[in-house]
Amino acid sequence: MADRRATNRAMFWRIIRRLLGANRGRLFVMMLALGAGAAVTAALLNLQVDAKRRLTGEFRSFGANVLVLPKGGGSTASADATLDESILNRIPVSSEENPVTASAHLFVLGDVSTSPAGEYQRVVIAGMHAVVADDMMAAKAGPPAPFAQRCIVGRQVADQMHFKLGDRMILRGMNSQESCQVIEIRATGSAEDSQVVPHLDVVQRLAGLPHRISLIQVTVAGNARRVDQYITELQQQLPEVDVRPIRQFTEGEAKIYNRISGLLTATVGIVLLLTGLCVMAAMTNVAMERRNDVGLMKAIGGSMRRVLRLFLAEAALLGLAGGIIGAAVGIFLSIGLGKAVFGVAAQPRLIVYPVAVALTVIVAILSAFPLRRLASIRPASVFRGEA
Amino acid sequence: MFLRIVADSFGRRPRHKLLTGAALALGMGVATAALSVSLDVGDRLAKEFRSLGANLIVTPQADSLPLEIGGVDYRPVNAGAYLPEADLPKLKTIFWRHNIVGFSPILEVPVEAWSPASKTSFSPSAFGNATLIGAWAKHTVAIPDGSTYVSGVEKTNPWWNVEGKWFDDGSRQCVMGINLSKRFGVKIGDDLNVSAEDHSHWITMRVVGLVSSGGPEDESVIAPLTVAQELADKPGQYRKLYVSALTKPEDAFARRDPKTMTPVEFDRWYCTPYISAIALQISEELKGTDVRVIRRVAEGEGQILTRVRLLLWFVTGAALLAAALAVGASSAASVIERRTEIGLMKALGAGSGTVGFLLAAEQLLLAFVGGGVGYALGIILARLLGEKIFGAAPEPSLIVFFVIIALAAIVTILGSAYPLHRASRIEPAPILRGE
Repeated sequence: MADRRATNRAMFWRIIRRLLGANRGRLFVMMLALGAGAAVTAALLNLQVDAKRRLTGEFRSFGANVLVLPKGGGSTASADATLDESILNRIPVSSEENPVTASAHLFVLGDVSTSPAGEYQRVVIAGMHAVVADDMMAAKAGPPAPFAQRCIVGRQVADQMHFKLGDRMILRGMNSQESCQVIEIRATGSAEDSQVVPHLDVVQRLAGLPHRISLIQVTVAGNARRVDQYITELQQQLPEVDVRPIRQFTEGEAKIYNRISGLLTATVGIVLLLTGLCVMAAMTNVAMERRNDVGLMKAIGGSMRRVLRLFLAEAALLGLAGGIIGAAVGIFLSIGLGKAVFGVAAQPRLIVYPVAVALTVIVAILSAFPLRRLASIRPASVFRGEA
Repeated sequence: MFLRIVADSFGRRPRHKLLTGAALALGMGVATAALSVSLDVGDRLAKEFRSLGANLIVTPQADSLPLEIGGVDYRPVNAGAYLPEADLPKLKTIFWRHNIVGFSPILEVPVEAWSPASKTSFSPSAFGNATLIGAWAKHTVAIPDGSTYVSGVEKTNPWWNVEGKWFDDGSRQCVMGINLSKRFGVKIGDDLNVSAEDHSHWITMRVVGLVSSGGPEDESVIAPLTVAQELADKPGQYRKLYVSALTKPEDAFARRDPKTMTPVEFDRWYCTPYISAIALQISEELKGTDVRVIRRVAEGEGQILTRVRLLLWFVTGAALLAAALAVGASSAASVIERRTEIGLMKALGAGSGTVGFLLAAEQLLLAFVGGGVGYALGIILARLLGEKIFGAAPEPSLIVFFVIIALAAIVTILGSAYPLHRASRIEPAPILRGE
């Protein structure tokens, strides 16, 4: 009995081998359809997960979305209330693997001029200290000069006072006088256009407010829920200050993120569904060509169940092979796509590949299923070349 | 005879044709849906991005430097320049007038405010300095071409949430910042008195709403522009203008200095809705103004739009690829399976060319039918998708139709090309013997 079963199994695999090897053209066509489906499935699933994460990162290009302010000082910086500088160091630098950048600002009114004896103009001097600002200032470093003595000048100030890059600027505050070199003229379309931005230390000396700051701007990447959570956590950690979202950006970002992620999910979903159907239609077409084989098998005494099992096994094998090849191609596809869109290769998510292979096998088996209809075939008519 | 063979082939094997056709239609359906959505998404998303508010700010050229800290301007009251409100309708006459989705003039006046709603009218419970922001809520602008246009802060600053309602323009109503109203103990329906800092006269307004923005507006009073003009004694004038415009993300060409362009390039730049081009057109219409791009909004928007569009193009590309391969596979299969027929035709004296032509014609016919059905299918899908996500369906586009039909034809021909080539070398005798 066991012997017969072993023979049966050997025969089963032999038939499968023959089925696969019999027509190379057909094999190639099936692999092509299945592989393409699997590759696209793997690439899109991978990209979709990755793209959503990257997009929230992209929102950082809007700049700060959270403010840390003195308690009760109203909703934005006022000239009077200040915070201690040390708060900046107590802001967590990451929120669930997303980087957080923070910058401390001190706003004071002061007078600036091109030369100590020249005409002075009253402007808002906004001292700034941040990791970002340091990098920016370091990158723009022209001729060597002490770091603290460079400043960024808003376009309106530069236009009115005829400052050019590299010019010297004299800053006069209540307590002292400082000078700095203009390293950048910045046009942002916001309040910064009419401000002078030196390093925070300079402004603290000018105003006689050592270690005091007006506010901290924080940029948190992530979706709306993440930003809200960050604000709540930060408020708990720093009970002595007010933490608030900059609603223009947090609300806008949330809305846009939802649209984009909905769009992406829907497109990817529909593309996957139709790709599956499309592969299935192509496969079924190929499978239906097998009526001769089915007829022959039935003629020499194969029961429909066994015949069907043979073909389903063949389809599953094909699906497995096509799926693995396709998923491998999909890895490269998603890396390439990620690079092209976001400039960074999409991180391969391992879970995606088994899913893609499994889906391919399912599609392959499903598309072989219509062979059931051949149950009603009469072998004789097949051999006569009818039907 | 040719047509008869083709018709016969369709009639004899309807199921095969149906399946190949279904693969084609589904594949082309994916392609159509993805293409339609990708073509449309830029415009839709650009509109979504307007929820970030204005991306252009217009200020007087001759203005003194604003000394603003936390929304409070420390300039002496009469310093600075103003712009005439009467010029504003000209905004809707620029080349890209339809891309301007909203604008609102702003005139800020430092005021003293007190609330007569407190216990006694002689000793108001709350009294203090605040900024009164004069603006349009929903102002109807008469445009020179005879039509009217409604605009205001609702469009340029959509994140200003109002509890209650916005004031009617030109009335004695106002909207109060949420923090200020708490401090003053003023509720919707109460009266609020404001007077300019020189105490020349005062105005009583009805509070019709409470605004919360998370910004300095929470500490101020927002009132109709006319009220601010009266308080500042600047009738028909404003100080800054926010404009919200639909733009095309900036590319390398947009960043070039228009002054260095050749006339042809300049025309192209001018007639593209780049934000810089729209800014130039506005400053041409509104004399004596300085139009600045709010970089934070405009650049973030451009960057994200470019990325999303690129992403969707790739998804579309992947969809097209998968559809093309599956369709190609399907048509290849249908040729492979017809070796016997090909052998028979050749045995009866048909040349390879004739056979190839016949089969290609059959495939093409299938491609056109399948492509057409697929297009219809895809359009329905794209509509569903568009309505689900953006609340508006993409317009069916003729270009997409032609692209899809051409794609279907190319893919089927390519898919059948290799099998046809092999078929042309088939020796009839072994085939007919069944080998």
